[in-house]
Amino acid sequence: MPPARSYKAQKVIDRFQQKLNRQAMLSLAACVHCGLCTDQCHYVLANPGDPTYAPAYKADRLRKLFKAHVDWTGRLIPRWVGGRSVYSDEELEELKDVVFGKCTNCRRCSLNCPMGVDMASFNRLARGLLVHVGVMPEGVAVVAKDQWEIGNQMGVLKEDYLETLQWMEEELQSEYNDPSIRIPVDKRDAEIVYAINPREAKYDPRTIGEAAAIFHFAGENWTMASEGWDMTNFGLFNGDDELGAACAARVYDAVEGLRGRKLVVSECGHGYRSTRCEGPNWARRDLKFEMESSVVTMLRYIKEGRIAVDKTRNPLPATYHDSCNNARSCGMTEEPRELLRLVTTDFREMYPNRAENFCCTGGGGAMSMSEYAPRRLKSAKVKADQLRATGAKVVVTSCHNCVDGLFDLIRHYKLDMQVKLLVSLVANALTPPERRIKRRPLEGFRILVIDDEPDVRIYLSKLFEENGCAVTDAPDANQAMRAIRAQPPDLITLDLVLPKKTGEKLYWELKKDERFARIPIVVVSGYAAIDHPKIDFHKFIAEKALPPPEGFLEKPVDVEKLIETVHQSLLESRFSG
Amino acid sequence: MHEPSPFLDFAQDKLQIGALLFMALVYSLKIRWILKFPAGRDRQAPSGNPEKNASRGAWYSLLNIAMPWAMPSTRNRPLFYAQFVAFHLGVAASILMSFLIPYAPRTIASAPAVLALQVVFAMACIVGILRLYRRIADPYIRAISSPDDYFSLALLIVWLGFSFLAAPNRPAEGERALIAYFLLTAFFLVYVPFSKISHYLYYPFARWYLGKTLGHRGVYPVQRQEAGA
Ligand code: SF4
Ligand code: SF4
Repeated sequence: MPPARSYKAQKVIDRFQQKLNRQAMLSLAACVHCGLCTDQCHYVLANPGDPTYAPAYKADRLRKLFKAHVDWTGRLIPRWVGGRSVYSDEELEELKDVVFGKCTNCRRCSLNCPMGVDMASFNRLARGLLVHVGVMPEGVAVVAKDQWEIGNQMGVLKEDYLETLQWMEEELQSEYNDPSIRIPVDKRDAEIVYAINPREAKYDPRTIGEAAAIFHFAGENWTMASEGWDMTNFGLFNGDDELGAACAARVYDAVEGLRGRKLVVSECGHGYRSTRCEGPNWARRDLKFEMESSVVTMLRYIKEGRIAVDKTRNPLPATYHDSCNNARSCGMTEEPRELLRLVTTDFREMYPNRAENFCCTGGGGAMSMSEYAPRRLKSAKVKADQLRATGAKVVVTSCHNCVDGLFDLIRHYKLDMQVKLLVSLVANALTPPERRIKRRPLEGFRILVIDDEPDVRIYLSKLFEENGCAVTDAPDANQAMRAIRAQPPDLITLDLVLPKKTGEKLYWELKKDERFARIPIVVVSGYAAIDHPKIDFHKFIAEKALPPPEGFLEKPVDVEKLIETVHQSLLESRFSG
Repeated sequence: MHEPSPFLDFAQDKLQIGALLFMALVYSLKIRWILKFPAGRDRQAPSGNPEKNASRGAWYSLLNIAMPWAMPSTRNRPLFYAQFVAFHLGVAASILMSFLIPYAPRTIASAPAVLALQVVFAMACIVGILRLYRRIADPYIRAISSPDDYFSLALLIVWLGFSFLAAPNRPAEGERALIAYFLLTAFFLVYVPFSKISHYLYYPFARWYLGKTLGHRGVYPVQRQEAGA
């Protein structure tokens, strides 16, 4: 007698049978267990001797279900062909660990299978089955919810987005001393509707400004949309085709509503794949307008002489990292290289490259699953070795997701490298615009970033580094204390919500210790914004008779305000010290 | 020429035809079954690269089997690929021999033909044994192997062994090897559609669909640049 099956397990089986299309079915049926895909996966290479990371082993976690419920022989004698059904919620949790935590859906094994087994596609299918019954990492649930509810995966509110565009427009006008530079919003009948990754609006608005400068100097008739501007699509990562369809349709509706002629997608591998390739299938739409990556747009501007570039402005040796989605799912491998050669003086190829490149390890939504971060960073050794071997000082990529993944591994493996998007290099090489020379306000300082969220640590570190200072980071209070003792920083940014010991407690310890009491602390926390009023922290410091922090900023932070606060705190502390 | 015994005659003729008909029937049903699953449609615009399109991608993908340089997994393992060729050649030769012995025995009656067949079977059999050893000894392969994987491979090794013994086709010197060979062939034909050996039925479908999509999207044929190139 087979064991009784849980409600969720039954739902997974039912949905599995509904969702199985011919391509997935063939991939599940065709594996001959030859093992040729084994060493093509970065997880295997970084975990020698552990067969549970092998693509076919991971694939078999879903294939077992296929064998037990769909395959002819498997339905009669499942064990003979390796079939086994799922019965309990614990088994679903185990499946979750594999499909979310041990595979970035990079498709490298798929392109190395002699049978044409597309492991990455049915790994996505498996994710979708689990998501359907609510089994997924917490980060995945949060991001998907934001994209369903707010319309973009980082929960950027419309007014914040529009404000950011306005701010970038003003920056550009002052940088180029040209009040005619605009970031048009909702302009009808534009040649180009430009859609972005919400990471740009939330964490890296400079790339919006850079793209706007390029459009401006190319004399382009372009616009951004006030709705449907997020071209990323978490449906690709969580396997939810309905979410995929909804996100894609939002962007398509925006372009059609504005009567745009072409949709240009900013640099994002999964966004490009979702919007250009998968979106029309998920949304069942045959689209009339054209779509292209901004990489292709920028390359065309240079080739057509619409913008002039001076490659000597980007003299550092640069290599190119192919995003898995761009290279293995959309065939965009040559355009970025051509562009890179036009805007840098020292381009160095990375090996292997193009469709054979290794994943940055941040793909497949991995950056949103903090519980798997140690595993991810371990597997990133393969990428780190690849990067190191190039001898380059800059790794260029065409994907915001890869930027985060690469940035994280560069710090982890202590590589002396920066990560840049192509748009930044093109904008930097633009000639002849006269630009304001910006002083780097945090030059010469050292900052410690304390935050439990890897995304925030990466973001803040990058921001501070770009403003000239050296940065270290810590995910919890204990590690922070060790870092402070080893080398007291000039300033600390502190998240109040930390695992184990809270930020408040750490604040108290630092202020009580005369060796560290004078280090300025800027609180950067979402704490007050959730359900504890801001007064809690103030009450805490009042009760403990502690001095107030040098700054208190709520997440999501206003970049300008953050840099200003940090800068000011550092100057005051230097002056008073 | 020595007349085969009635049992050998049955085994090499009627039994084979019966087994073949059974296999054909099951395969037709299997193809019908595959086609019952809805095929996902590619609505996205073509890549725009004149070198890459759906049909080129599909053909490139189908011919992948003959292009060991196309993927790092085969490019970096020439010996493994050579083993693959030897093994599948042996299987194909043995299937061919099961038709030639009863219906056109003269075509493989000469000493050089027999020798050539035996070399092919011996090599395939040795490769099969090496593959079985690998399946048992390599922890990665062991972890993904099912009873059917072991059984199918063992079955082929034994069958190839009997193919080697049956190749001279001399029933006058004893029919045992021939009878065993034909009984195994019949069993093989009946068992194949239910085992992993039916992968050759899936191969064209799986590769076609993957290649069609990847060609349409501009991934296939894969472009690459190796170090030093
Ligand atoms: S290479 Fe393909 S057929 Fe071989 S084990 Fe991997 S997925 Fe299966
Ligand atoms: S898709 Fe990528 S991460 Fe997943 S198993 Fe294959 S090679 Fe590994």
